[in-house]
Amino acid sequence: MSELTLLILQLAFLALLWVFIFIVVYAMRSDLFGQRVRKLKEPATAGAPAAAAAGQTAPTGQAAPTPAAAAQAGPPAPSAPAPKVPTFIPAPGTELSGPPRATLANASRLVITSGAKSGSEIPLGSEPLTIGRSSDSSVVIRDDYTSTHHARLMIWGDEWVVQDLDSTNGTFLDGVRVTTPTHVPLNTPIRIGATSFELRR
Amino acid sequence: MTTAPVATAPETPPKGIRRIRVPQKLRNLELFLLLFVCGVNALSVVLVQLGALGVADFTVVTIGAGLAVLVLGLHVALRIVATNADPFILPIAALLNGLGIAMIYRIDIAENLTGWESTALRQVVWSGIAIALAIAVILVIRNHRVLQRYTYIAMLVAAVLLLLPMLPVIGQEIYGARVWIHIGAFSFQPGEVAKIALAVFFAGYLVSRRDSLSMVGRKVLGMRFPRARDLGPILVLWALSMAIIIFQRDLGTALLYFGLFVVMIYVATGRASWVVLGVGLFLVGAVIAGQVLVYVNDRFTNWLDAFNPEHYDAVGGSYQLVQGLFGLANGGLIGTGLGRGRPDITPLAQSDYIFASLGEELGLAGVFAVLALYLLFISRGFRISFAGQDDFGRLLGVGLSFTVALQCFIVIGGVTRVIPLTGLTTPFMAAGGSSLVANWIIVALLLRLSDTVRNQPRLVI
Repeated sequence: MSELTLLILQLAFLALLWVFIFIVVYAMRSDLFGQRVRKLKEPATAGAPAAAAAGQTAPTGQAAPTPAAAAQAGPPAPSAPAPKVPTFIPAPGTELSGPPRATLANASRLVITSGAKSGSEIPLGSEPLTIGRSSDSSVVIRDDYTSTHHARLMIWGDEWVVQDLDSTNGTFLDGVRVTTPTHVPLNTPIRIGATSFELRR
Repeated sequence: MTTAPVATAPETPPKGIRRIRVPQKLRNLELFLLLFVCGVNALSVVLVQLGALGVADFTVVTIGAGLAVLVLGLHVALRIVATNADPFILPIAALLNGLGIAMIYRIDIAENLTGWESTALRQVVWSGIAIALAIAVILVIRNHRVLQRYTYIAMLVAAVLLLLPMLPVIGQEIYGARVWIHIGAFSFQPGEVAKIALAVFFAGYLVSRRDSLSMVGRKVLGMRFPRARDLGPILVLWALSMAIIIFQRDLGTALLYFGLFVVMIYVATGRASWVVLGVGLFLVGAVIAGQVLVYVNDRFTNWLDAFNPEHYDAVGGSYQLVQGLFGLANGGLIGTGLGRGRPDITPLAQSDYIFASLGEELGLAGVFAVLALYLLFISRGFRISFAGQDDFGRLLGVGLSFTVALQCFIVIGGVTRVIPLTGLTTPFMAAGGSSLVANWIIVALLLRLSDTVRNQPRLVI
């Protein structure tokens, strides 16, 4: 073996080591940079990309899209994404009539009722679900209105409870903003950004 | 949780319910990385032979292939019982282990060791045992929360393991440190395994006690310090590590255990005052030990004044440290080439000084690659803990990955003369069975944690 061959082999070996490292880093890029923001199909005018870019990098609580962008690109929902409304306090657990609370026993699936993936469902286990834009969430919602760690569905006793994790644009249970952990009734829409879902039997 | 119906890409969502079974993407990525790693490891052994002997001898590569089969066995076990486990941890550990074996084999060639005398062969056998144990851990522990039940048993196990080397017959003193036990032809360092038991104990203990450790206390200089009566645990741990310094004469292990506890209590309570307290306590202890104990004092002078001929020539002086530095310097940017340096001049080049040996033959580029591998491994561990749902799992994940990080820092910092040199093993690389067993069990536990945590979302909208 000549010196030159050995030198080339050595360089090739070092290159291979670094190639391995870069493959690993490339494969975990979504952990480093977060999920890509999904562009909504509705009028994507000049304001929307800016809001998307801002929302992509900013962590929870700072990702407020500008009101103009929100108005242009937002879903035609009654309570469009707005800055926090501190005066609005719902009364959790006050509904005496209406659908029964979702429990481990009677709720078996989470169904998306509106938004980009409406119609899909995931089975509910006996473990909590996290919802947000970060890739470690159980349900990843990639739109401009969702915070990195937006909300979670927990189990108290054996009943499903939704908790807002101090998200920028709020979590709405049946149109009412969730401020404290609130019991979820069956077949009642929970809205996060442009996506609504229900817990069903 | 094993069924992961994910509705994938189509832009216009058709009405109706879709369930699509996803292929095991994570495991396929892992398989690809593993095959890549096996190739790199085989190449490293061949390069060592070409450099040191001039000919390639493929019988050695066949022995290594046995290890590759075991690692793939672990991969298959993950496919069955931990589908969502992290795909990067196993390949990174396998690569580090393989590089270590290649380097140890290179030192063997220089010292003319063959057969069962050969450290590399023993290292291969130990790696096999360690990986088999990792498979067993993955298969037996199906949920990490089970470990929380054994919080206090873990404490007892750790205490027994720490005391074993002090026993008269099986305890053994090597190079002044009394941390080995010796049964028949085997010698084992129980302290390595004790760190896992300690991490389990700390996690279980801190989950139940974190409130009293974090809520109350007096505010001094903008930092909330704990009450005097809450200082008990940290003082006990401090006394334990001081006892290790005095009786077992092992600085590194003491620093490792104490650092582990301080970091875990910091993560559990979120209060920096614990770190201030812990670092302060340890510095006070180390300074006192440096004044009182001769061997600690020697370590300090060897570190601060390494190039003084007086220390260099002294018995137990800085000869080893300085030779390691010369080796690193000789390596330069791209190294002398595998098998073509003189790493064997440094005493213990295959265990404590394996990092300097690698630095000589792979150069700065190779050393940084190794450091990057450790960085990726540890960052995966923290990532798994960060994404965890239950406090016990999060703390355990932080503790386990931090032991690897701290161990790397202590030993590599010692070799490169950043901190005083203490004898600890470089995780996955250094020759030594107990270290391999402990680190592969850590790998298995992290894989188990990451499977429970589920890195992959169930549904992407």
